[in-house]
Amino acid sequence: MENHDDQFEKYLGEFQPRRPRALPEPAIHWQVSPRRLAAATAITIALGASLWFARKKSELSGGVIVRKDTALIPESKLVAQPLSLLLLTQLALEAPEQLDAELTKASRRVLPDFRGKESTLRVLAKE
Amino acid sequence: MLERKLSAEGVRRLYDQHGPALVAYACSFVTDAAAAEDVVHQIFLRLLSAEIAMPDVPVAYVYRAVRNAALNARRGRQRNAPLDSNATVFERLDGNRESGLALQEALTELPEEQREVVVMRVWSGMTLEEVAAASGAPLNTVASRYRYALEKLRGKLQPYRKESGD
Repeated sequence: MENHDDQFEKYLGEFQPRRPRALPEPAIHWQVSPRRLAAATAITIALGASLWFARKKSELSGGVIVRKDTALIPESKLVAQPLSLLLLTQLALEAPEQLDAELTKASRRVLPDFRGKESTLRVLAKE
Repeated sequence: MLERKLSAEGVRRLYDQHGPALVAYACSFVTDAAAAEDVVHQIFLRLLSAEIAMPDVPVAYVYRAVRNAALNARRGRQRNAPLDSNATVFERLDGNRESGLALQEALTELPEEQREVVVMRVWSGMTLEEVAAASGAPLNTVASRYRYALEKLRGKLQPYRKESGD
């Protein structure tokens, strides 16, 4: 009997039911939460405002962008530090010997070098 | 019963595996292949669009959903509409359309619970244990339903079996 059923089951299996049409491809659903939307709006406004201010500032300065480019500043100016009056006064009162040393150091930086072979003073002296 | 959400991929897999059998099942209610296909398609579209919590055996849920949708579709149509011979649900490998139509008719004449067991077993490829789990009936009951259904179908399809020499 079971063999009989198996044979008939096999026979039924020869019938193929019609395959339904394919399901549509999934559409992309953007689920935007109000919080995310608010954050994105705030960021956009902030960026827009900063861009607007930057352009406005640029227009006011005549379109010239002021850059602090240290590579363009001569080395001598970088080295030459202005003498601090306060520091010198303090040294004069507390350590006069250090004051001499500091003044010598500062003079080497600030004044033209006359010890070099091609120094301005030596050239002038020769003339 | 446990419930879980089925992913879109899971829904598609279910459709590939059970879609044809579900069309055959739906066709036994609506007696129109195109309408049966529409019913099954709509059920799966709904599953895709919304993440419906499913019972532990999704096949059972889908069979129930298809049955209900097919019955609803039938209410809007003529109850005893003749089978559309141009749109058979079953196709036989040898291309015999008549036997396919006879099978469709024979399935429609089966009691609903017997029809369900046969479709699940033969065209959904489920074991009787799986059918029992899906339908919520005891295994012995499911086995009896299956045996009775085969007996009736065998009687109805006998002339076509002789023709094909099976």
